[in-house]
Amino acid sequence: MGLPFLDSFSAAAGRGVWHADELGLADAQVAATGHAALDAQLPGGGWPVGAMTELLQGAPEAHVWRLLLPALAQAVQARGGPVVLVGAPYEPCGPSLAAQGLPVEALMWVRSEAPAARLWACEQALRCADIAAVVAWLPQARVGELRRLQLAAAQHEVLLFVCRPESAALSASPARLRIRAGRCESDASQIELHILKRRGPPLAAPVMLPARNERMAALLAAARLRRKLRLQQSGTVPAGETAASSATVVRIDAWKGGGPDALDRLAVVA
Amino acid sequence: MHWIALQWLPDADTPDVPALPTPESLGWWALQYTPHVAWQDEALMLEVSACERLWGGRLQLMRQLVASNPAPDVRMLGAQGATSLIALARLRLFERDENRPQDIPAGLPLDTLSAAREHLDLLARLGCRTWGDVAALPRGGLTRRFGTGLREALDAAWGLRPESHAWLTLPDVFEQKLELPALAETAPELMWSANRLLSALQIWLRARQRGARALELQWTLDLKRFNGVNLPPHQQVTVRTAEPTQDMAHLRRLLSEKLALTTLAAPASWLRLRTLETDPWAGASTSFLPEDNRKGDRLHEMVERLSVRLGAQQVVVPAAQADHRPERKQAWRPALQKENAPAKARKDEKAAASQPDAIYPPWLLPEPLLLEMDGERPCYRGPLSRLIGPQRVEAGWWGDKEDGGQPAMRDYYVAESPEAGLVWIFRERPSARFSSGEVRWYLQGFYA
Repeated sequence: MGLPFLDSFSAAAGRGVWHADELGLADAQVAATGHAALDAQLPGGGWPVGAMTELLQGAPEAHVWRLLLPALAQAVQARGGPVVLVGAPYEPCGPSLAAQGLPVEALMWVRSEAPAARLWACEQALRCADIAAVVAWLPQARVGELRRLQLAAAQHEVLLFVCRPESAALSASPARLRIRAGRCESDASQIELHILKRRGPPLAAPVMLPARNERMAALLAAARLRRKLRLQQSGTVPAGETAASSATVVRIDAWKGGGPDALDRLAVVA
Repeated sequence: MHWIALQWLPDADTPDVPALPTPESLGWWALQYTPHVAWQDEALMLEVSACERLWGGRLQLMRQLVASNPAPDVRMLGAQGATSLIALARLRLFERDENRPQDIPAGLPLDTLSAAREHLDLLARLGCRTWGDVAALPRGGLTRRFGTGLREALDAAWGLRPESHAWLTLPDVFEQKLELPALAETAPELMWSANRLLSALQIWLRARQRGARALELQWTLDLKRFNGVNLPPHQQVTVRTAEPTQDMAHLRRLLSEKLALTTLAAPASWLRLRTLETDPWAGASTSFLPEDNRKGDRLHEMVERLSVRLGAQQVVVPAAQADHRPERKQAWRPALQKENAPAKARKDEKAAASQPDAIYPPWLLPEPLLLEMDGERPCYRGPLSRLIGPQRVEAGWWGDKEDGGQPAMRDYYVAESPEAGLVWIFRERPSARFSSGEVRWYLQGFYA
């Protein structure tokens, strides 16, 4: 027998109550990730703004740009400030990032090796009003220190991504969203994303994302096709096999020199 | 016009009389409240008719003045009046604990008027006790007998003549010295005294309507020789900021970061703060839109703070460069440095450097890594299979060592490593001149 008081209460509070078996709603702003498959699995449909997102990976450089670049490019466009990279493992290549939408001037690189200096620089960057996002590599950070960063991000409503090694997956973390990214074992052109922590039910199957951007995928397909054709001409492979099923490749023989880039001369992909 | 007269009375009875701040610093203190400040006889006069609204009215202003007394141990007397002479006369009455007369200024006793002091005996014999008595005497006779000074002072007191004052002004360059309360052994100990100088600087900046861009903090060393080494008389640190500022919190943080990295050659006794560069203060423009009013520091403040602590070379931003060698397509320069190339040249460089179609890897190695060979195939965490390429780069033949050393003749490939994913490798093409016969492969970037 249901009490009428409780019924009216639950109806009124229904909006504010989150059932643990459904995906949580974002209580703050989110930034779209640029990958529809990932957006569908994140609470609110994007990276949380003003909260820490943790990326756990085997190698510090792996998959970072593939995952974050669309959101970072959008944040730079919207807020206009630089993206601060604290302790990036290698030198970020400006022209490559610019070709994918993140302008060269919107990068700021804090080259610091000491863990304490990285944490301090991270916090200072979060406290600045004019920056678009912070991406930090903090392999040795402790929970208390991460908690401090999380609070600073919440206070100043900045996108904060922290990259940590895979071994940190088992330890506790104040991050609102934790994702372990790895290469798919069966298909090298896919990234497997295990969402370790989110406001919502645990995810049974990992989210798959293409590991290469469209241009790279098309070039790889074109190169594969060319190799096949060459082999066909020499007669080792029987004709009739469809070489590339994912992309339609049109050969262009019209060019005769003068192109800016040798790689461009291969093919155009429709 | 409304005047406030202030006077500091050190108690004669107390044995250890605290030293009164210099008249100059008292004047600077008063300049925070009004731009019209002058010393008249023994009192500091403030003309506040134009600015009393800003401080919330006369009463509120007086309360603030008393509350922020620059010499807290010394009693400060204050009196107000419609003209400076009335305010001064009331201050003198207050000092003698006399009641103020009913009608002001006519009822004020004569000895409170500075111009009448030398004629007091004669005026008393004439039967004049108050300002009103003297003012009632015929003008011509009064001027002939006592000179023009007395009559002019009375006219000024009644507001019939404009008053003229030697207003206090601030120097063009801020420079103040301060003796440390005790010898400072380490640089951070200087910070407490530097704070006092900084608050004086803030008064100076506000009064002159300027913002500070560069400051120099100098300290005098107390020893001429130390450990057998001759010491210079002074040491100093310089603090610079990109935008002119009146915000002492930012300058204080920069200064303390600098001082934390400094070691004193010998104990310091005196401190001197000096402005090197100041700019006219434009004020801050604010917006009503909520998205424009994000709380937090400004970008240049963050960059300066990071650069001061970590070193300018550690906080870098990229600049596009027109070159075909990938490692030279961008130059990293300290974020602290202003970009000094003109806008057009920068645009040209950017246009030349941007190749939206080229597929560069997002990560570059600082130095190309020489790869091990497995027969004909290069290896990086497993044998590499070449997928795309070659992309041929021939550049750098024009330069000398600074411009990139030897010419770069390379064939770039995108290759796949079984463990590391897609990588960017190149084969150094042996040129005819430097041919050593051996083909070398290098790794230059990661696609990730």
